[in-house]
Amino acid sequence: MKSYISEFESKDKPKDYYQKLLEELKGKNRELHVFNNLNEDLRDGFPFSVKDNICVRGVESTASSKILKTYKPPFNATVVERLQRQGFAFLGKTNMDEFGFGSFGINCETPARNPFNVDYVAGGSSSGAAVATSILKYHVAVAESTGGSISAPAAFCGVVGFTPTYGVVSRNGLIDYANSLDKIGFMARSAADIRKVLNMSVGRDEKDTTSLDARLRDEPKIQFSVINQLMNGLDDKVRSAFDKLLEKLKSMDYKINYVDLKDIEAAIPAYYIISTAEASTNLARYTGFKYGFKVGDFSKRYNDFFTEARMQFGSEAKRRIILGTFVRGASVKNRYYVKALKVRAMLGEKMRRILRESLIISPTMSITTPKISEVEKLSPVQTYALDMLTIPPNLCGFPHVSFPYEYIDDMPIGAQIVGDHFNDYAPISFVENWEGKFKYRFKYNIGAI
Amino acid sequence: MKIGLEVHVALPTKTKLFCSDSTSETREPNSQICPICVGFPGSRPVLNEEAVRVAKSIAIALNCRVREDISFIRKVYFYPDLPKSFQITQLSESIGSDGFLELEKKRVGIRRIQIEEDPARIIREEGYTLLDFNRSGIPLVEIVTEPDITTEEELREMVFTLRTILHYQGVDVNQEVKTDLNISLAEERVEIKNVTGIKNLIAAAQYEITRQGAIIKKGGVPEKETRSFDAASGTTKTSRKKESEEEYGFIYEPDLTVYDTKNLSENAMRIPTKIAMGLAVKHKANYSTILELIAFDTGALNLINEFEEEFDFKTIIASLEIMKRFGEPANSGVFKEILGLTDQKIDITRDVLKKIKAGDKVEIKKFSEPQIDETIREMLNSDKTIVEKYKKNKNVVNFIVGTISKKYGIQPRDAAARVEGVINKL
Ligand SMILES: [Zn+2]
Repeated sequence: MKSYISEFESKDKPKDYYQKLLEELKGKNRELHVFNNLNEDLRDGFPFSVKDNICVRGVESTASSKILKTYKPPFNATVVERLQRQGFAFLGKTNMDEFGFGSFGINCETPARNPFNVDYVAGGSSSGAAVATSILKYHVAVAESTGGSISAPAAFCGVVGFTPTYGVVSRNGLIDYANSLDKIGFMARSAADIRKVLNMSVGRDEKDTTSLDARLRDEPKIQFSVINQLMNGLDDKVRSAFDKLLEKLKSMDYKINYVDLKDIEAAIPAYYIISTAEASTNLARYTGFKYGFKVGDFSKRYNDFFTEARMQFGSEAKRRIILGTFVRGASVKNRYYVKALKVRAMLGEKMRRILRESLIISPTMSITTPKISEVEKLSPVQTYALDMLTIPPNLCGFPHVSFPYEYIDDMPIGAQIVGDHFNDYAPISFVENWEGKFKYRFKYNIGAI
Repeated sequence: MKIGLEVHVALPTKTKLFCSDSTSETREPNSQICPICVGFPGSRPVLNEEAVRVAKSIAIALNCRVREDISFIRKVYFYPDLPKSFQITQLSESIGSDGFLELEKKRVGIRRIQIEEDPARIIREEGYTLLDFNRSGIPLVEIVTEPDITTEEELREMVFTLRTILHYQGVDVNQEVKTDLNISLAEERVEIKNVTGIKNLIAAAQYEITRQGAIIKKGGVPEKETRSFDAASGTTKTSRKKESEEEYGFIYEPDLTVYDTKNLSENAMRIPTKIAMGLAVKHKANYSTILELIAFDTGALNLINEFEEEFDFKTIIASLEIMKRFGEPANSGVFKEILGLTDQKIDITRDVLKKIKAGDKVEIKKFSEPQIDETIREMLNSDKTIVEKYKKNKNVVNFIVGTISKKYGIQPRDAAARVEGVINKL
């Protein structure tokens, strides 16, 4: 099992290792827009990057939003604290879709670009985290997923992206998108490294009431379930690559089972209703006078004052605020918000039944990596529909991993494995096994020793 | 007429509802704040269990159904004092519901008791709106009554009774209580928002009763609307017509899990009105007198309980009244002395109290009544005109009353009565 963390620890580093790393990274950053800022004081320790919506004490943390420019939180996110205590070195804050709103990383001022080809998207919303993992040899990324923000960019950038069971990694210090859906997770170049950082990060945190002290399992399954309804909208190239993957798995003595999961299509509207309802309340606090963007003109009436501040939001943020405010309105709440909560519970129960006996497998994305120019033309509804494969496990809080399994036209594509609640190590174990049969390719190896 | 109230009171906890900042009074603005109560991105609430415990106790004291699995909601609105632009509060899954407050002649329904966070304090100064977040996150309960109050008298009794019950649950009832008042003389409900203090609450109700009464008298109908109370002028004025119903977009607070209240131990359930009634019946004493003594003085009740078996109840009550008159805190050391002296029919003067408190032995000077009357007669004889003058103006004997009172250590009131008695016999 390949672990870059162990390899890094066993190697003698040249004196100017970190300085050289930063220099090279700065150059690449100008091209790929990976980091929103870099830690100039980088020294000793295995480098880890932090998605820009996760707080690092004294470091500008903006969630790639103009409205949070200059916000330097006076505290560390619990996950950052725990990794630092283990001797890991904070490298910098990674680019993302504003507040996590997006699947391609393009909803921000300077979108990150795909390291395999700069005309292509990096995926989102944890765009910078995936690109950083793809270009740095010794590094893990702390990322976050609400509806697929780890799986999607991990697949497009050819890295391993893991999203744990909801609640097992503390959200303290996360700049919230949708609290009941947000999960802090990780990206790495190997599953063994994911296992290591997950192990260091889990555990009850007094500062996050929803955090759990669950004992995570590593309960292997030899059976994979393919949900028929999810296979309908696949791009042809993805379809044939995925079929080949299933054949390969059979040859590795895994069993493939095709199952029906009626109503799984409802996951998308349920997800967008719950996530925007919560997001619209989370974003209500940005009113322009305590932190981040400041209006300055205190002669304005309060309504005009905060309205001016809120012009700083990008268009996707505005869209989700409006949508979320609508779906929780008194006159429609039962039809949307309340119903979506029921759909979430119902789908969770149905998926759990499948996950008791098997792991669910699917492509991570139904399309191959698109060009930036292509996704800019998509309508919001078309974009939302592309999250079909990543949303179900995210909506219901199941642990899942995306891993590279094929390269089409020199671009990686990924598959996603979902496990039962708290069986977080099973998908990771599978990928460790997979890595024995498949060689990941990376275009850059910045920081190689 | 129908009146319903939404009363907000701060809970007696050492720390705030969702963070560990102190709730104590401080002069320095924004000195007891942290990322949580200022709503910094990345921070999240952690529920103060003691606040839930006290709220549960209040719910029980108000005969509510106590919910075992409570949850919180976000109430979203934009106002500078609200750091997250939403208030964490409760609605359908609140700590208490369907209770009542027992008044002398009726019950006032309690619809709901909810736990919520206080917003920051707004200070308006020299054209600026200043914000003090020390108050932000102070735990409150909001007590929502049914519109069962039908007279001003009932309103007063209801407020008194609620306050005394809250006092017995450890709530500081001298704090500035904020109330929303719903009042309708006709069909439509008029809401008066954010009335601060009990005096203003009564004044606002009085004004509104008169205002709506006048409209009805003229053949009109009071409109459904929200009004605000101006304490300076004692009037209410329209703040919002009801066509635009407020929209708060409530959703569950996803950072707090469902909280189990089963194992929270409630306070001792002492309901002062019930206790006063019990004592009144048991000792054939006056209910109101007892209630007045114990309503906002748990110490007084403790003294009653301590000496109830040993002393005559009338003597206990008389002694408590003496303590109250001299502003003496209910403390059993002093009280026991007063009780002993009162039992011997000795008048307690300020001097006597001073001696008791200094630990001096109180000398009991006993004078016979004929002896006192003889002194009065002597003084009256020294000026022959005084009795004539007395018929027109009773104040002419003030000098005599004072001398007698001092010399014999009796109450001026009693001394005056003795003087009058002697004059009448002349
Ligand atoms: Zn605080």
